Amino acid sequence: MGMWLFLFTELLLFGGLFIVYLIYRVLNADAFLSASYELDVTMGTINTVVLLVSSMTIAMSITAIQKGDSKKSIQLLGTTLLLSLMFMVIKYFEWSAKISHGLFPGLDLYKSLPPGEALYFFLYFIMTGLHALHIIIGAVIIAVTMYRTRKGLVTADKYTLTENAGLYWHLVDLIWIYLFPLFYLIH
Amino acid sequence: MAPRGSYLDLFVSLVLPNTLKTMAHKHTNDDHSENHEHHIVSYREHFSTLIALLFLTVVTVAISVFGASLASLSVFTAMLIATVKVVVVAYYFMHLKYDKKIYGWLVIIVSILFVAVSVLTAIEYLNR
Amino acid sequence: MASLSTNVNYFQAKSGIFSWIFSVDHKRIGLLYLYSLITFFLVGVTLGLLMRYELLNPGKDLLEAKTYNQIFTLHGVIMIFLFIIPSIPAVFGNFFLPIMLGTDDVSFPKLNLLSWWVYIIGAIMALSTLVFGDGPADTGWTFYAPYSVKTGTNVTMSVLAAFVLGFSSILTGLNFIVTIHRLRTPGMTFLKMPLFAWSLYATSWIQLLATPIIGITLLMIIAERTLGVGLFDPSIGGDPILYQHLFWIYSHPAVYIMALPAFGIISELLPTFSQRTIFGYKAIAYSSLAIAFVGYFIWGHHMFTSGMSGTARFIFSMLTFLVAIPTAIKVFNWVATLYKGSINVQPPLLYALAFIFQFMIGGFTGLILGALATDIHLHDTYFVVGHFHYVMFGGTGFAFFGALHYWFPKIWGRMYNIKIANIAFTIFFIGFNLLYFPMLIAGLMGMPRRYYDYLPEFHLPNMISTYGSWVLAVGLILMLGNLAFALFRGRKEVGRNPWGGITLEWQTQSPPVVQNFDRMPELPKNGPYDYDNKPTIND
Repeated sequence: MGMWLFLFTELLLFGGLFIVYLIYRVLNADAFLSASYELDVTMGTINTVVLLVSSMTIAMSITAIQKGDSKKSIQLLGTTLLLSLMFMVIKYFEWSAKISHGLFPGLDLYKSLPPGEALYFFLYFIMTGLHALHIIIGAVIIAVTMYRTRKGLVTADKYTLTENAGLYWHLVDLIWIYLFPLFYLIH
Repeated sequence: MAPRGSYLDLFVSLVLPNTLKTMAHKHTNDDHSENHEHHIVSYREHFSTLIALLFLTVVTVAISVFGASLASLSVFTAMLIATVKVVVVAYYFMHLKYDKKIYGWLVIIVSILFVAVSVLTAIEYLNR
Repeated sequence: MASLSTNVNYFQAKSGIFSWIFSVDHKRIGLLYLYSLITFFLVGVTLGLLMRYELLNPGKDLLEAKTYNQIFTLHGVIMIFLFIIPSIPAVFGNFFLPIMLGTDDVSFPKLNLLSWWVYIIGAIMALSTLVFGDGPADTGWTFYAPYSVKTGTNVTMSVLAAFVLGFSSILTGLNFIVTIHRLRTPGMTFLKMPLFAWSLYATSWIQLLATPIIGITLLMIIAERTLGVGLFDPSIGGDPILYQHLFWIYSHPAVYIMALPAFGIISELLPTFSQRTIFGYKAIAYSSLAIAFVGYFIWGHHMFTSGMSGTARFIFSMLTFLVAIPTAIKVFNWVATLYKGSINVQPPLLYALAFIFQFMIGGFTGLILGALATDIHLHDTYFVVGHFHYVMFGGTGFAFFGALHYWFPKIWGRMYNIKIANIAFTIFFIGFNLLYFPMLIAGLMGMPRRYYDYLPEFHLPNMISTYGSWVLAVGLILMLGNLAFALFRGRKEVGRNPWGGITLEWQTQSPPVVQNFDRMPELPKNGPYDYDNKPTIND
């Protein structure tokens, strides 16, 4: 229950940003639309798929530990970790492409943007940035779970850590499920 | 419910007599056993859930890429599909289907609260 | 090594500073909060007295304008984030929630300790703004954009401090929710919980769900200040009013974080000092939840003059009036509890009665502010300052001190001097009302708030108010001094139940043993305030 409650706080944390997005999109609908063409739908879709698969693998890791198969649980957790790495790599490419074009708050191209578009990109970086931070935190939690499973501290009778890691990871997935259409699929 | 700050374990042993430690430990066990009924979801069920989610993703992208003329409708549809995906993740991957009902209710109430606050803010802007 | 020894109370268990600041015992953590809270409260009081001194006469008496702005900002940050919001939950919730539920600690004792440490770190951060750079923020505790983005004072640090303090609040709320759901003693259903527990439950949900929003909002301010371009800047399509929306979406529910636990305290004090059951237990319990829920949707009443749409103003005003209903239900039930009770006039009861009087004034003035037309005249005047001090200080503050007088013998196993406590209360009460009632008058006359100077026509209310602040200070010092003295020289042997209460803490020793109960707690037969069937408690 404690983890669910913590997830609610994360939901509201991102929720604040979603409210800002909502309002500014209402106020700057056209600007948001034209700005969104800068984003690569293919990369976004791949990232979506990556996270969905990683949600499956971590859910499966819970099944594995419930069945007492620690080895498989660790493997599945490891797969989840690799997928999260893949997500971060793709994100890195997306970000660096934009930054090299000067499309980051403080850089040249950004400063010359029309008003609504500047907001779009500011929100893009803050929201995907905060999301990426949570991916990193989630990855750390998964790594800790792997370690403790290997040490025998997580077993078929006591796998609350794995469950909590799973819940946290699913939240990271959930946020992306909303971020994706809101930023990439406006048109 | 892994308590946070396991580095504090050191200090726990400094200040608590042994009996209290076992009592504190008992709490986490209680949480554990009440939380789920040891129901094991099969690998197959998880895989099916993924297929459903991937399908929804394809639909969402397709609508956006191919249905550009229905701009405002596609926003609504995209959000709708996203919400369905979220419900699927919560219900299956996050185990709400098999958990005690209270968890589902809490998720619903919190979601309603958030949506209502967002809508109220939007109403403010839309009526200027 | 002693096993479940019934002779070891929680003071005696382990000694030395490290056994306290690294303790996971909810009782010790409650006291850690108490001592730190009172310290910060006194800093906040000092700032308040400085402000009142400046306002004694028109013209500059002591402070520059900017310094005055910094002082009222820091006063607000300290009083709200370091004192009132944690106060009752962190001190009395921590100490007594597990005991009232018949259990031996909260669900996550280590998280509880972390909450306190995070609180201390946030407090140090907030106070550090006094000593470096251009001094504390001068924006008001509300940190409105665009000024908060542009000013050179230590806004970033203040805001970061508030962010950190938010975590403490969230973790406490999380801990209490799980504790209430999971650790109630067998036989204690939700509807047999004491009302203090109900109020903490409702409060915890607000702490959990509302605080993250201000967390992210404050991060946005920091982003604007550090990255140079921001979300509330009209030149890039942003809207400063959006900041106000986000800020108040938390900060209005936050006032219910302040008020609900206070309501819970009053619901405990009145049955004990009338020696009868509370009137309308379910109504009070459910109204706590109702207030928490409706409270999320009325934040706009802080923004009536900001430039919001007319539709929104109408909706927010209407919903604001709605939240008054469950609050009024509580007040009626409290008064009905006193009716035909066997009234025992003791300091805790005095604070409870003062609460009812002062909270009602605060509540009624709130309704006046909640009505659109009157708010146009009164927004940002001293009427608002009077209003919120009546509810937050005259309400929650008095409830806090009432709780302190009520549970003092239980916590420390000593009794304070009742006569001095009564005298201190009287001075405190008179001082409080002398200090804040004139503010309502000054506001009606049109005096703006957050000004270090004023027109001569506002001199009289300001003078009375400042004298009132000195009377209040005397009462406060006497009250706290009396209690502090009792810590060392108070009469011992107070027994388990000096006031004749009926909730479970009165079955424990005074002070309680480490694991709280030396005997299995006995639940009253027909609900938590079943005075007709009081369990016999032998020392």
